[in-house]
Amino acid sequence: MNSTQSPGAAVRIENLDKYYGTFHALRNVNLSVERGEKIVVCGPSGSGKSTMIRCINRLEQHNGGRITVLGTELNDDVGNIDGIRREVGMVFQHFNLFPHMTVLENCMIAPMIVRKRPRAEAEATARRYLEKVRIPEQATKFPGQLSGGQQQRVAIARALCMQPQIMLFDEPTSALDPEMIAEVLDVMVTLASEGMTMICVTHEMGFARRVADRVIFMDGGEIVEEAPPEEFFTSCRNERTRQFLSQVLGH
Amino acid sequence: MISLLRNQKVRNALLQVFYVGSLAALVLAGVVIARRNLAEQGITSGFDFLYKSTGWDVSFSLLPVTANDPYWWFFLIGIINTLFLGSIGLLLATVVGTVVGLARTSSNELARLLGRTYVDIFRNIPLILQAFFWYAIITHLPTPRAAHEAWGMLLTSRGLYLPAPNVGGVAMALAILPLFAAVALPVWLGRTSRLSRPVGERLVIQLAGIAAALACAVLILIVGRLPDAPLLDFPALQGLNLKGGLRIPPEFSALAVAIAIYGGSYIAEIVRGGFKAVGKGQVEAALSLGLSPWRVFTLVKLPLALRAMLPILANQYVWLIKATTMGIAVGFTDFFMIVALTINHSGQTLEAIGILMAGFLTINLSLAAVFNRINKAIALKGNQLRG
Amino acid sequence: MEMVVVAPPAPGTLEDLRRRFFATPLQALLSLVSLAIMVLLAWKLLNWAIFSAVFTASGGPEACQAAAGACWSVIAARWRIILFGLYPFEEQWRSALACVTVVVMTVLSCIPAFWTGRRIGLVWAAGAALYYVLMKGGVLGLPYVGEEAWGGLALTLFIFVTTCLIGFPLAICLALLRRSGLPWISRITGIIIDSVRSLPLISILFTFAIVLPFALPQWLVGDKLYRVILGSALFFSAYQAEIVRGGMQGVSNGQEEAAMALGMNYWQRIGRILLPQAMRNALPATINQFVISFKETSLVVIVGFFEILASGNAAYGTGEWRFAYVEVYAFIAFIYFVFVFSLSRYGAFLERRMSVGER
Repeated sequence: MNSTQSPGAAVRIENLDKYYGTFHALRNVNLSVERGEKIVVCGPSGSGKSTMIRCINRLEQHNGGRITVLGTELNDDVGNIDGIRREVGMVFQHFNLFPHMTVLENCMIAPMIVRKRPRAEAEATARRYLEKVRIPEQATKFPGQLSGGQQQRVAIARALCMQPQIMLFDEPTSALDPEMIAEVLDVMVTLASEGMTMICVTHEMGFARRVADRVIFMDGGEIVEEAPPEEFFTSCRNERTRQFLSQVLGH
Repeated sequence: MISLLRNQKVRNALLQVFYVGSLAALVLAGVVIARRNLAEQGITSGFDFLYKSTGWDVSFSLLPVTANDPYWWFFLIGIINTLFLGSIGLLLATVVGTVVGLARTSSNELARLLGRTYVDIFRNIPLILQAFFWYAIITHLPTPRAAHEAWGMLLTSRGLYLPAPNVGGVAMALAILPLFAAVALPVWLGRTSRLSRPVGERLVIQLAGIAAALACAVLILIVGRLPDAPLLDFPALQGLNLKGGLRIPPEFSALAVAIAIYGGSYIAEIVRGGFKAVGKGQVEAALSLGLSPWRVFTLVKLPLALRAMLPILANQYVWLIKATTMGIAVGFTDFFMIVALTINHSGQTLEAIGILMAGFLTINLSLAAVFNRINKAIALKGNQLRG
Repeated sequence: MEMVVVAPPAPGTLEDLRRRFFATPLQALLSLVSLAIMVLLAWKLLNWAIFSAVFTASGGPEACQAAAGACWSVIAARWRIILFGLYPFEEQWRSALACVTVVVMTVLSCIPAFWTGRRIGLVWAAGAALYYVLMKGGVLGLPYVGEEAWGGLALTLFIFVTTCLIGFPLAICLALLRRSGLPWISRITGIIIDSVRSLPLISILFTFAIVLPFALPQWLVGDKLYRVILGSALFFSAYQAEIVRGGMQGVSNGQEEAAMALGMNYWQRIGRILLPQAMRNALPATINQFVISFKETSLVVIVGFFEILASGNAAYGTGEWRFAYVEVYAFIAFIYFVFVFSLSRYGAFLERRMSVGER
């Protein structure tokens, strides 16, 4: 995997199918994401949006179709899986910081043991990204001592320290108290403005309007609607989308 | 080839084949070598030896036994001995544990201190050391000639002698039935009329039931007694030895006492944990309904605590049953000792070990099954009352 | 049921006692009975163990038999056999030093600063090596002493330490195998763990000591001591594996997913993320398992080892001290008590600290 210059789309999903037992979680999903593109995925719970982005770094194994990330196909080849995970960062709903390590160690561990960077370099990178998410002063604390918003920003910094080419966000603000959502979204907006390729599962429609190149609406394991934000919010074609939007924006 | 090894599915399959294969090879190699070694000593493998007579004797048996009996009979005796010692030990340990556990949860500081001291001392001394200790104590008691006597019982270095009823076997078996009925009565009462009768009334019914059962049992014994003999046969000195009565050998009493005391200290902690698990809110709610402390205890605390204790208690019981294998240390012929003696005398090593494993697996699995049934039957429905 | 009364009048001592112990007739009865039992037992015990006891060996067994109380002379006369067994008399300082090594090692492992896989492993490996060199000798000018001469407390501690040293890594392996996503591996490991757990330890020790030589090729049979240690380690690991697995179940799935998403491979995820957290969750139960396994080392007496219990039997069993068995057992019980009680107190302390602390 030496794909900095590899041609084509960042992520290409073709005819993706995924089952949990007999439950058909993803039905024939097709999606192509260009480099530098920002995608926002929304939809009711259980619509398969999280499953889809978890397939991109193989936290879920797909049952049919093809996923190509940065020109490498995601198949049973162990080398490909490892390579892709190195280049794809992920931020989780529940942060999933490592509670037994300090904030700094959380950010340093992967570059050191996966990318084999020397400690000094890893620490410098970690401090730079902690600065970027605006919590350099918390570096020596443990995750349990931080607020939810701060933890999620550390999680973003941790993913960035691997210097990924693509970032996946799986409902990054859903577990946060309202007053902390803004600080996390601010960081994500900054990241978007620097040209990162981003796929975000979120219900923050203000964020979608500001940064998304395309908004995707999923329901029942299918992509129902796909449009640039202004079109998506003003003149969506599908009844289900309209209903969903009225619920999310309605109050 | 390299690309094949990098394939996750191929890798997973290979790993499993390798793991299962190497374990199977290990076991197979062991069995092959063992059979060859045993064959060199002139021992043919197979279970035919079960029908040969043993040629040795056991020190303790509930069933009639002679050295001419076959091996399978000895194994049966061993299992029965293990179960007998186990159930007596469990019963005693549960009684001790309940008393000490209640003392540990009592509101009285002195009682708590006493319970805690008991647990701290007896939990922290190995069971086998306690078994050795009691065995030494009992075997150092006076000889039959100078025995301690109390209420017709005799304490001697050759065991504890109890007065025994002079009754035929059938009557003896029949007499046990009403006792079972007395035990079943409260269970049945609890099932039919959980809350409809006041506790006091239920207690009276239970006591009356137990008294009736005891009277029934005594009546059956009197009717079924052997002709021309007194009802109770007291042990008495004849020459250098004691005759008559029921002898409990020192090996058995030492183990039963050790298991009762050691197991009691563990069960006490389980009892305490069970009561600690009962939510304060539920007790407060019961008190605020105007229930008396006694009824709060029997209607709220005890049922909830029992449910919390039961799974842990089941594990402890399995452990205590396994602890009966300590019998070999003092010479009590439990199941394991019979197996060890069989290996010594017949050389049928693999078969005997197989029987040992099967025996303990069966005992443990059936105990676990019984407890699972009880657990399911009394489990709180839904999850509204947890925590 | 504690009720807070606003500014209660400071009760006098008598009033306080009455309230605590004699609030109701039932309470009073309970207090009196408990007090009576305690005073009676304490008096009898003190009288036997101290006031009427004989302490010095000078009078010999005869002085003891005349006394009403305990005969501690037997300990004074025979303590070396109890502690060191048949170890050569003039080399027994090595045995004593080896015991001290084990104690130091255990104390070190209780200090949080040593709680990383590498440090704790280093402490135990170094301790065990030092113990082995001290006991066996043959190097550094120490005369050689074979395993068959080891005995007493030193042998008990050796069996305990090596059981843990072998059993602990084995337990982690078994736990990992059992939670493996590959169905055959987890199923078969589960069967192995459950069968070992359902067997009595004595039967496993017996199998390893006496039966296993039949099933091994000659060159693999080895010394009986090491076979028994292996069996005891297997038993320990079957129990400890379930404890470790319980600790792993306490670590949320998200932790492993986050590690995967960062590109860590299996061993990195296990070693850096899963195990450190799982071991912390499992710590109280682990210490409890150590306590149990220390008590269970005493079972090796059955397969014919001269550990502390057997050497105790020997100490009173021969000739003139035959009557002093209670004192010898009390002494051994005291030794076990000191080890086991302090370890289990430490476990209770940790449990309390962890339930209050970080999480």
